[in-house]
Parts: sequence; structure tokens; C-alpha cells
Amino acid sequence: MPSDPAPPGSPVPPPLPSSAPAGAAGEPAQRLHPLTLLFTVWNAVSRFLVPALILLILRKETYIVGFMVVFVVVPVLFGLVRYFTFTYRIEGGELITRQGILNRSERNIPLTRIQDVRIEQGILHRLLHMVDVHIDTAAGGEGTEATLSVLARAEAGRLRAAVLALKGRLQPGAQTAGQPVTPPPIPRELRRLSTGDLIRAGLTSNHLASTAAILAVLWGLADDVFSQEAIEQWVQSFVARAESWTAADLSAYWVLGIGASVLALLVGMVVSVVGSIVLFHGFTVSRVGSDLHRSYGLLTRRSSTLPLRRIQVLKIEEKPLRRVFRLATLRADTAGGTTDQGRESKSGRDVLLPIVPREDAESLLPEFLPDLDPAGGSWTPVSRRAIYRGTLKGSLACLGLTGVNLFFDPTWHSLWPILLIVPVYFLNLQSYRHLGYWMSDRYLRTRRGWLSRAGHVIPVRNVQSIVIRQTPFDRRHRVGTLQVDSAGQVFTGGGPEVSNIPWKDLQRLAWTVARQASVTRYRW
Amino acid sequence: MFSEGADPGPEPHPLPAPGVPGASEPPGAELVSLDPRVVGYWRVSSVISSVVLLGLAFFIGGSIVINAPEALPIAVGIWSLLFLFRLWMLWWHPSRAYRAWGYRVDDRVMEIRQGIWFRSITLLPLSRLQHVDLNRGPIERSFGLATLVLFTAGTQHASIPLPGLDAERAAALRDRLVAAGGDDAV
Repeated sequence: MPSDPAPPGSPVPPPLPSSAPAGAAGEPAQRLHPLTLLFTVWNAVSRFLVPALILLILRKETYIVGFMVVFVVVPVLFGLVRYFTFTYRIEGGELITRQGILNRSERNIPLTRIQDVRIEQGILHRLLHMVDVHIDTAAGGEGTEATLSVLARAEAGRLRAAVLALKGRLQPGAQTAGQPVTPPPIPRELRRLSTGDLIRAGLTSNHLASTAAILAVLWGLADDVFSQEAIEQWVQSFVARAESWTAADLSAYWVLGIGASVLALLVGMVVSVVGSIVLFHGFTVSRVGSDLHRSYGLLTRRSSTLPLRRIQVLKIEEKPLRRVFRLATLRADTAGGTTDQGRESKSGRDVLLPIVPREDAESLLPEFLPDLDPAGGSWTPVSRRAIYRGTLKGSLACLGLTGVNLFFDPTWHSLWPILLIVPVYFLNLQSYRHLGYWMSDRYLRTRRGWLSRAGHVIPVRNVQSIVIRQTPFDRRHRVGTLQVDSAGQVFTGGGPEVSNIPWKDLQRLAWTVARQASVTRYRW
Repeated sequence: MFSEGADPGPEPHPLPAPGVPGASEPPGAELVSLDPRVVGYWRVSSVISSVVLLGLAFFIGGSIVINAPEALPIAVGIWSLLFLFRLWMLWWHPSRAYRAWGYRVDDRVMEIRQGIWFRSITLLPLSRLQHVDLNRGPIERSFGLATLVLFTAGTQHASIPLPGLDAERAAALRDRLVAAGGDDAV
């Protein structure tokens, strides 16, 4: 037990310590423009107008008071509190904002971290010569790091100049303008995908779901185009014919079912192949200086330029079907992209290289990550306990299934799930052999999975934080899980993670990565 | 296990020796535990959330029992179990959590440990620090405590909280971290 805590409420809390000498080194704390209050009221009222109108139309005037409280009075009160408690100042190379009465919050943003100072104006802003200022850093999560709403236009300009001056990049174009004009670098093609590649990509992609969707749409169309009777007649005649093919009544349905599945599979393959060709026709990826240039597409021609240093994490993905053909997909996370994953995958932005033979993927890595030295490290396996633990987990599942079986059908046949323990062991053995990490002085690599493999390559300069975890079961086996966080993990599905690393090795590894990351600069 | 380095006196944190870049060993510094007052703070917060939770359960259970009086013994049983569980958590959890939490910082890396059963160690290279929040809720303030939230450009661990710090120390620690990380001194 710790020493007894102070009784609640006895000491009067001192004000935040750093507030006392405000402006000692920098400027005094600033408030937002007094017109903020007007904007608060305006925003609240404009939000209230629509519901109020609806209520008037519905002749429910009695509710208006309640709505007014919710939509006008409460927001205005919050706005008042915010206006009277919100201050900001630039001091000691930081932008410091403070707010709140009950829940006090103080945020220090080093000016060197500020990526963007956005100044925005609505209609009312323009009439009153006011602006909203949004301060963005590279920090993960949603929204801007600080919003100053509203400020006089002159004050916003002053703030922006102060931020940029201290940041040392008042003229963003200055650096490039001063340099002598160098001839544009010659593009070097790294990879071109043939139609054969794209057909292979289509055939090995899991598009069963899209097939089902298309069949459903077709079924719906058939329903609209043909009358119900026509379809029934057609199905009946088909069934009758199928029945005449096979003597037994029941097996006809089997034939029909299998036939439908095969048809669905074939349609799915065709859809996948066509989709793959339409999306990625003529795919080329080239190096242009320190940028990657990709262009592809049959109908919509797409091309994109990706500065190599924007690559946060690279992932080599091998799904089961592609494993059979020794094919892989390369994915990369780029900080600052949008996070609308559905749209990104439709436009092919989520993959760096849709399909590539496994060996070529490995040899292409230094092209995407120029300072990667393939010989700089070696793969370290995890603890052999991984095999035992995985097999134990699988065996327990098998035994559970056996138990359920025996409950419903207490015969010898119900014991079959026990036989599965052998393949479960084999699977875990294989998974263990492919689970591991690789560390050089600039890169961390991880790999996991056997049926479906995933390998991550992360430059240490992009490591944001390292988390190592230990569950109670891990503790018994003296192992733990490594998790490396990086910016914008959208396309690689969660970044590098390796379990069952011996706890002592894991701590040493985590500290090695953290120390190396701490002496590199993260350039966003 | 940890040093009881959190007496609310004015002396600074126990500082580790300057970190050697590239060294893989953790710094020689002892882990610093949270301010002991955090146990009281967690207990008070737990009482408040328990009252809300148990009250809610009482009303839900009550409305069920009114419609189906035969469910009374079950409802009373479940509610008592919930009550006993919260009581046990109130008594047991904060002091255990207090012992599980710990942090240390040298000039390059900050380490935060937490978790009673599910332990985790977070290592934050200070050059990755984007900005820092210092939050003080009303109950925290009455205990003289503050929570630091460290922000990186990461995804899953973009914000790393460190609760239960003495308010003045939290501000001092914040200034130190920002100074170490914010200038991107590499």
C-alpha cells in the first residue's frame, strides 16, 4: 500500500505554475477577438433556425423553448466560458493555449512542429474582417491541434508571421528559388506490369464477395425484367432437365447447387480479372530522382507522385492464394493521406505495387527505401514457446469441439476433431518459423504468418513510439509482444507487430529502436 | 519495485545519467512512481462512477422488477454482486494500479509503464514528441494533481497519457520534454 493519500479537497489547488510569469520571456497571453461572442451567438442561432422552422411548420411551438435551450442557450454559455477562459501566447518557441474552468487544459505546441497555419473566412467573417486560424501539426488523430476562432485579420497575420519567422521558413519558396536550376532527373522504370501479370493478379484476388454482390444485382435485374412466372417456369424447366439427367430426385439439387457455385466462381474470376485490368492496365512505377512515379488505368488513367521519404511503412503482403504462386503485393503507408479506405482501394492508391513475384519484391525494396541494406541485419526468431502456446490454444479448441460433438452424438465418430491436433501442430510450427524480426541500424523489419504472410519494413526515422505488452499468459512464458507505431497506418493494416519475443530480448530490442529513433529526425 | 520518488516535495525528479545514443540498455535511472495522492484521486473517481453505474443498474433492475416481481431475487443478486465487485475494485484496484504505473525519462527517451495484469511499456523517443497537453479536471485539482498527454504523429498510440502527477512537477516535466523534443535537436 502506498502512503496514505491527502484527504480530498483539503489543499487549495495552486493555479497552474507556468501561468504566473506569463509573458516574462514572450508576449502576454492573448484573448480571442471580442467579436468571438457575436460569432458564437450567430453560429448557435443559425443552427437553431432550421429546427425552429420545422417546429413552426409542424405547429409545435411549445417545443421551441426546449430547443432554444439545447441549440442556443447551452452553446452560447459554452462559448462564453470558452471566450473568457481561452488564451494563447507565443513564448519560448512554443504556442501555448489554455482553456477551461472545471477541466483545465493547457497545450504546448513547439513552433518547429507546426506544419500549417490555415486562415479561413466565412461570409460573416468577411463582412467583419475576421478570420479563423487553424494550427496543424503532424500529430496523429483527428482535427487541428489548435483553432483560434475568431481573430482580427491583422492579428492572424501577425500570429502567422510570428510562427513562420520563428520556424525559419517565412518564404516557403525561398529555398528552391535560390538554388541553381538543375535538369529534371531522368525517370528510371522499376517495374511494368504486363496484362499477364494483371490477369494473375485478378485470378488470385479474393473477389468472392464482389461476385455475390454482382449476382445479387443480376438477380434483382432479372426480377425486374422478367415476370415472376417466367423465372419460375425457367427454373422449373431447368430443374426438370437436371432431374432427367440424374435419376435420383435429390441429387439434382446437388448438381444444381454445385453448378451454381462453379458458375459463381467463374463469374467472380472474370469480374476480378476485368477489374484488375481496368484499374491497373499499363501499370508502371518509376524512380524520378527521390520520387516514385506511378501511372496506371485503362479507362481512368491515374498517375501519382510519391516522395520516397513520405513512405512511413512498407508491407509485403502474401495472401494464401498468392502464396501458392509465389506472388506478393507491396503496400505503403504515406503520412498525410486521406483515410477513406474504400475510395482509396477503388482508385488503387492503397497498393504500391499490385502484384510482383516474391523474390522480386525483396530485391525491389532498396529502390523504395534507398538506405536499406539487406545485409545489414539478420532475422531473429521468437521464443519456441510460440509453437507450444499456439498448439495448446488450437488443441483446446479441438477438444471443445469434440465435447460439443459428444454432447449431441455420443459415438466414436464424434472424436474426429482430436485428429485435427496434428495439423494444428504443423501449422504452428510453420508459423513459428516465419515469425521474427530483423534489425539494422536504420531499419526494423518484422514478419509473421504462414498461410497468409505479412512482412513490414519500417525505417527507424519513422518510428513514432514503441509499445511492448505482456499478458498474464505471456508472463508465465516470459515473452511479450512488440508493437511499433508510425504515422498514417492506413494501408498496411496496423503496422509491425510480433508476439512471443522473449521478454528480456524484447526490452533490449525496444530500447535499441527507441534510442536509434531518438537520434533521427522525423521529417513529415 | 519502484522507488517511492513521488513525495510531493519541491525537489526535481531523480534524473538518470544522460543517455548514450545507440545504447540498447535502459537508462540506469530508477522508475519514478506516480504521486501517491493519485490513489485517493482514483478512489474518488471510482466512487463517483460506481454511484452512477449502480444507480443506473438500480433503476433498470427496478423497472424490470416492477413489471416482473418474480425477478426480484435475481435482480437483487446481480445488483449485490455488482456492488461487491465495485467495492472490491475501489479498495483493491487503485493501490495496485499505483504500483504498476511508473515512468522515467532521460534526455532522449521517455518510458511509461502501466497495467496490473496486462502490462505495457511505452517508449517514446522525445524527438517524436509533437505537442503536450496538461489537463486538470476538478477532482484532480482538489488533489493537486494533473495529467500529461504526450502526442506523437503515430496512429494507434498517437496520444500517450500519464496521469497522477503533482501539478507543479507535471508542468516542469512538460517543459523539460518539450524542450528536449520540440527543437528537433539531432
